[in-house]
Amino acid sequence: MKNLIIFLLALSFGSQFYGQTYNNFEPSKTQFMIRGYGHTGFNYMDSGDEKESSYVGSAFAPIFLFKHSDKLMFEAELEFELENNNLEIGLEYADVMYVLNKNMTIRAGKFILPFGTFMERLHPAWINRLTTRPLGFGHDGIAPASGVGVELRGVFDLGGSSLNYSVYSTNGPRLKDGNVEPEEAGMLMFENFEDNNLSKAIGGRLGLLPFADSSTEVGFSAYSTNGVGEKDSEYEDIGAFLYALDFSFVKQVTPLKGIIDFKAQYNNSNVDTAEFAEAHGEEGELEEVEGEEVYSFENKSNSFYTQLSYRPTMAGSDFIRKLELVGRFSNFNTPEGAEWEEKSNQYAFGINYWLTWRSVIKLSYQTTETEGGHGDSGITNTDGFFVHWAIGF
Amino acid sequence: MKTLYRILIGSLMIFAISISIIACSTKKDVYTEVPDTEVADMGEEFKIEKSGAQLWGEVCNRCHLAPSPADYNDTDWETISLHMRVRANLTEKEITGIKGFLQSAN
Repeated sequence: MKNLIIFLLALSFGSQFYGQTYNNFEPSKTQFMIRGYGHTGFNYMDSGDEKESSYVGSAFAPIFLFKHSDKLMFEAELEFELENNNLEIGLEYADVMYVLNKNMTIRAGKFILPFGTFMERLHPAWINRLTTRPLGFGHDGIAPASGVGVELRGVFDLGGSSLNYSVYSTNGPRLKDGNVEPEEAGMLMFENFEDNNLSKAIGGRLGLLPFADSSTEVGFSAYSTNGVGEKDSEYEDIGAFLYALDFSFVKQVTPLKGIIDFKAQYNNSNVDTAEFAEAHGEEGELEEVEGEEVYSFENKSNSFYTQLSYRPTMAGSDFIRKLELVGRFSNFNTPEGAEWEEKSNQYAFGINYWLTWRSVIKLSYQTTETEGGHGDSGITNTDGFFVHWAIGF
Repeated sequence: MKTLYRILIGSLMIFAISISIIACSTKKDVYTEVPDTEVADMGEEFKIEKSGAQLWGEVCNRCHLAPSPADYNDTDWETISLHMRVRANLTEKEITGIKGFLQSAN
C-alpha cells in the first residue's frame, strides 16, 4: 500500500513537472531541415528518322539545411537520377555559410556559381517554368554551374533600389584535351573537385534592382582563369574568360490581370587557342600515329535565352488563376572548326497548371534546329513533347 | 587572356576590399534581431515602410511562386529564411519583413 501511494505521488508530481517543461518549450537555435524537389514525367522526341518515347524516371533532389545559429548554416543538395538504367548520384552543392554582417556573407565549399541567374536561382524543376533547360546550360553547356572554393556575397539597400554582389575564387575548370574524348577536345569541364593545376578561377556578379518594387534586376557576371590545363602539360597556361548578362522583370500588371515574368541571359565563353590531336580511330577513339596531325580553332562560344511567362492571377475562375503560359527562345553557338561545332536554335512553348505554389504539372512542346554537333554535319530538326510533374518540398 | 585575367582579378580585389570596408563600417555593425522597442517605434514609419505581406508578394515571386505561410511552422521559417536570405541575396529589411509575415500568418 505504501509503495502504491509513493508511486501515485511520483506519477502525479512527475506529470506536473513534465507538463511544466512542455509548456516552457522553446525551439532551439540549432535546427535541421530537409527540403528539396523532385519531378517525373513523359518525354517524346522526334528527330526525323529517329523517334523515341519514354516515361522518365523521377529525379529526387533533397536539400539538407543545418542551421547552427542565426548566422551560421550548412547546406547541401544531392541529386538522385535514373540514367541509362543506372542510379546517378550527384552532389549539387555542399557549403557552409556565415553571415558576417547585414551586407556580407561568406560561403565556402561547393556552391552554385552566380554566373547569371539561371543556374543559381531558376534551374530546380519546380521553379523552371519549362521541362528542359535552355541551350547552353547543363551537360555540354558553356555556363559554369558550380565550383569548389570560397565566396563573399551580400546586398546593399540603397533606399528603394538595391545592389547585390558576389566575389568568389574556385578551383576553376579543366580543359578537355581530347585524350579521352577526342570529339570534345577544347571543351571546358567545370566539375573540378580537386584542382588540376595551381591556377584558380576568380569571378563575381553584380546585380542591380533599380526600382523599389523589386520587379526588375539587371546583372553582369564574369569568370576568369589563366590556367585550365593539367599541371606540367602543354595546356597548363591556357586561359579562359567567360561573362554573362542577365535581366529579369516580374510584375503584376493590372490591365493584363496577371503576373508577367520575363527572363533573359546571355553567356559568352572565350578560351585561349590551343592545338589538339586529330582523331583517327574508330568511333572517336584517339589513335597514336606517327607525325601526329594537329588542329586548332578559335575557341569562342556563346548562348542566349529569353523566356516570357504569364499567370492570370486576377482571373475570376479558380482554374484559370492556376494556369500559366510560357514561351522561350534559346540559341547556342560553339566554335567553328571544333569537333563539337554546333549552331542551334530552340523554341519552346508550354502550359502549366499550378496545383499549389510548389507543385506544378507542365505540358510543353519544343523544336530544336541543330547544325553540326559532335562531329555530325548537316541540319537536324528535333521536336519534343513533354509532360512533367514537379514538386518542391 | 592573361591581361583580361589580371584586370578582372584586380577589379574584383578592389571591389571586395571596398565592399568589406563599407559593409563593416555601417552603424548597425552586426546582423541582429530587431528589438521589440524598435518594432514599436517603427509604427510611425508604417506609411512609408512596406509590409511583410507586400515584400512576400514582390520578392519571392522574382524566382518562384510566393510560398504559403501555412506550409511550415515558425521554426522552419527561421531556417528557410536564413537559407533564402543568402541564396537570393535579400536585404535584411526584406527577409525580416517576409519572415515576420510568414510566422504571423501560418
